[in-house]
Amino acid sequence: MKQFLLCQKNALELRLFPHITEIGVVKNSAIRLNGFLNIVADGLKIYYVQEGKFEWTINRQPFILYPGDAAIILPGTEFGNENNVLEIGSFSWIHIQVKANEKGQLLKGSWSCLTDGESHAISKILQVNGSTVLQKFTEAGNIFKSIQSELFNQHIGYQARVNHLLDEIFIHMARQFSRISNPGRDFPSTFMKLEYELRRDLSHQWTVEEMATLVGLGTTLFNDKVKSYSGFSPVSYLINIRISEAIKLLKKPDISLTDIALNIGFYSSQHFSTTFKKLTGYTPSQFRKNHLRTK
Amino acid sequence: MECIITIELGTNAVRVYAFDLNGNILGSLKGYCPTFHSEPDHSEQDPDQIFITMLYVLKNLLNDLVHPKKYKVLSICFSASMHSVLAVDKSGNPMGNAITWADNRANKEAAELKNSSLGKKIYKTTGTPLHPMSPLTKIAWIKNNEKEKFKQVSKFLSLKGYILQQLTGEYMIDYSIASATGLLNIHKIQWEPEALKFAGITSAMLPDLVPVFTSAGKLNKAYQTSLGLSVDTKLLVGSSDGCMAVLGDGINGEGMANITVEDSGAVRVMGDKVLQDDKQRFFNYLLTENRYVSGGPTNNGGIIFEWFTRQFGDFKNPFDIEDSMLELINEASGISAGSDGLIFLPYLLGERAPIWNANARGVYFGINIKHTKAHFLRAVIEGILYEIYSIGKTLQEHRAFKNLSINGSFGTLPFFVQMVADIYNKPVRLRQNYHSVSYGSYLISATEMGIYNSLDEAVKTVVLGDFVTPEKNNHRTYLKYYKIFETLSTKLADEFADIAALQQS
Repeated sequence: MKQFLLCQKNALELRLFPHITEIGVVKNSAIRLNGFLNIVADGLKIYYVQEGKFEWTINRQPFILYPGDAAIILPGTEFGNENNVLEIGSFSWIHIQVKANEKGQLLKGSWSCLTDGESHAISKILQVNGSTVLQKFTEAGNIFKSIQSELFNQHIGYQARVNHLLDEIFIHMARQFSRISNPGRDFPSTFMKLEYELRRDLSHQWTVEEMATLVGLGTTLFNDKVKSYSGFSPVSYLINIRISEAIKLLKKPDISLTDIALNIGFYSSQHFSTTFKKLTGYTPSQFRKNHLRTK
Repeated sequence: MECIITIELGTNAVRVYAFDLNGNILGSLKGYCPTFHSEPDHSEQDPDQIFITMLYVLKNLLNDLVHPKKYKVLSICFSASMHSVLAVDKSGNPMGNAITWADNRANKEAAELKNSSLGKKIYKTTGTPLHPMSPLTKIAWIKNNEKEKFKQVSKFLSLKGYILQQLTGEYMIDYSIASATGLLNIHKIQWEPEALKFAGITSAMLPDLVPVFTSAGKLNKAYQTSLGLSVDTKLLVGSSDGCMAVLGDGINGEGMANITVEDSGAVRVMGDKVLQDDKQRFFNYLLTENRYVSGGPTNNGGIIFEWFTRQFGDFKNPFDIEDSMLELINEASGISAGSDGLIFLPYLLGERAPIWNANARGVYFGINIKHTKAHFLRAVIEGILYEIYSIGKTLQEHRAFKNLSINGSFGTLPFFVQMVADIYNKPVRLRQNYHSVSYGSYLISATEMGIYNSLDEAVKTVVLGDFVTPEKNNHRTYLKYYKIFETLSTKLADEFADIAALQQS
């Protein structure tokens, strides 16, 4: 790939892609002081190394990147070379505008074709792993090349193609991360990780697809594995955690039933009440009354 | 038609079985419950999640099977893991999670007590080894480390005690679970004052002590309705999983021993006398007034083979560890007994009986240039079994036994059962199924209902598989290597301490 740099501010090629703030390739044949500054990123940034060896710091943690490696920088993360040096070699990068909502979920915007569930799951996986380096992430290099040629050639359908390719980067990142953290050997520890994530965000309306993505399995296999390991379907297991949490909250006098319901992921206090009663025989308010009485 | 239900509150799952009155299984379901490790030494479970899981699994079994076929549930009998501790406040509400048997936070309390003259006295009266597993040392830990919380505690329950209290409103603890707390004088069957004093509590802070056949009280109205059970369904407090496993395997009195290989393992015998061991190596748990289940536990059972499988198994299907384990076992069977001189000490998790050394670690010994991956694999299985043999061997210093049964899924594998028979040089039963704990609960229920006149009569009905007979040649080979295994297990004590210290720093 040749060197180039397209910036949202002035590049006509990016006119149809307001969400791409920057895309470029650099080939550097001599060390340049102050050539690679430490910055705090506001969008999502991906740097893919093609040649050479780069010593970069992410969140003040040092990483060494070799060809095929990619640095994944989430919004708000400090990134650069410790001494602001641009080392010898070549790499490509892209900066994508994504916003984090109040819950920290990364919102990609309307250009993306991913469903809400997929998008949420990918965002979860990225956040669980944090800003880091993905080794041997050669898919990123290939996709960068394709995006570049789409942008410069502008054949029919290039607008859709570029956006698809961006989605593809996200999908590949998520898959690579879940392959690394779930090598397919230890279901108990994989299940523990899932349980931890469910509890951390119990108010979220989890879908089976999201849960499956999180542990890197297809939905059918995920269903089977959870069922045979835990005795529960994924959704029943989630309800179990929710009701166990409810029992604890109901024993605290100062939180309303509606707040409890929403906190633990029921969409209404009615829905909460029915589910709770079905399992325990008590309505939440009866249960609360019984337990607030000092015995 | 009538049926009996058993509920097993295990460390990682709740298992519910339905039996007909003759002890035939009508159906079973399980529900997983996680163990949390907020710190490396800690091991906790959420009592409310266990309660909800129990309700859910029970309800499903009732709705899927028992009610549609119009079975009348005569009784529900409980069993649970030993050594759990749950502090509750004056309203009966849990003050945090329950601490499980695997928790080692009370290491210091246990070590101090073990080396004191008070410790020797307490072991003699309670029969429970002085180890961080015991509620005695755990309560002492809370007293020493969470002073504010300790002041607010109204009662210390076991997990089963909490579940029963939720269902009926009564606070009870059965003899078996009580005898695993380290607080019970098993000779007099009453709380031991010296142990209570060490823990810093009074007997008022413990539930009522009752025999395993006791009714736990009436099921609360709301649960009668939601579960569809009648007011006369009897809830029996039942026993511990350890005692139930021995009972359910038909062990009654002398001459027989029982091996459990789950994640951890144990070798147990039953008799009418407490097994007094000067070296404090064995536990003695109470099933009924004159039935003691005695034996030794190991930390390093099936979990060590699982560890090996995860590291070196093939995993042709993702997450299919059973398949990978069976393949490895197949591979191991190609190597001759004794692994051509490769010996493995399986102490990856430290060890309890018989060496009681928390610092012990795993060792391969005797590797030569001809050893292959399959030798390393077979040596792991042999090492786990040498450890199980070492418990049985020390037990035999006190109590002779002629044959063995194995419960846990390994007891159904011919290759594994043959190895146990060869190492022990005793016949071992090969079985088709492994639900000994639940079957023990059925026997308790059936005896309580008068289907059998006594537990003795009940136990005689247990049908187990045929005996596998030992191969003399293999036994001779194993014995030669076992001698080295046994020597190394104690000889390396100093180095175990050094390496454990380095690993912890």
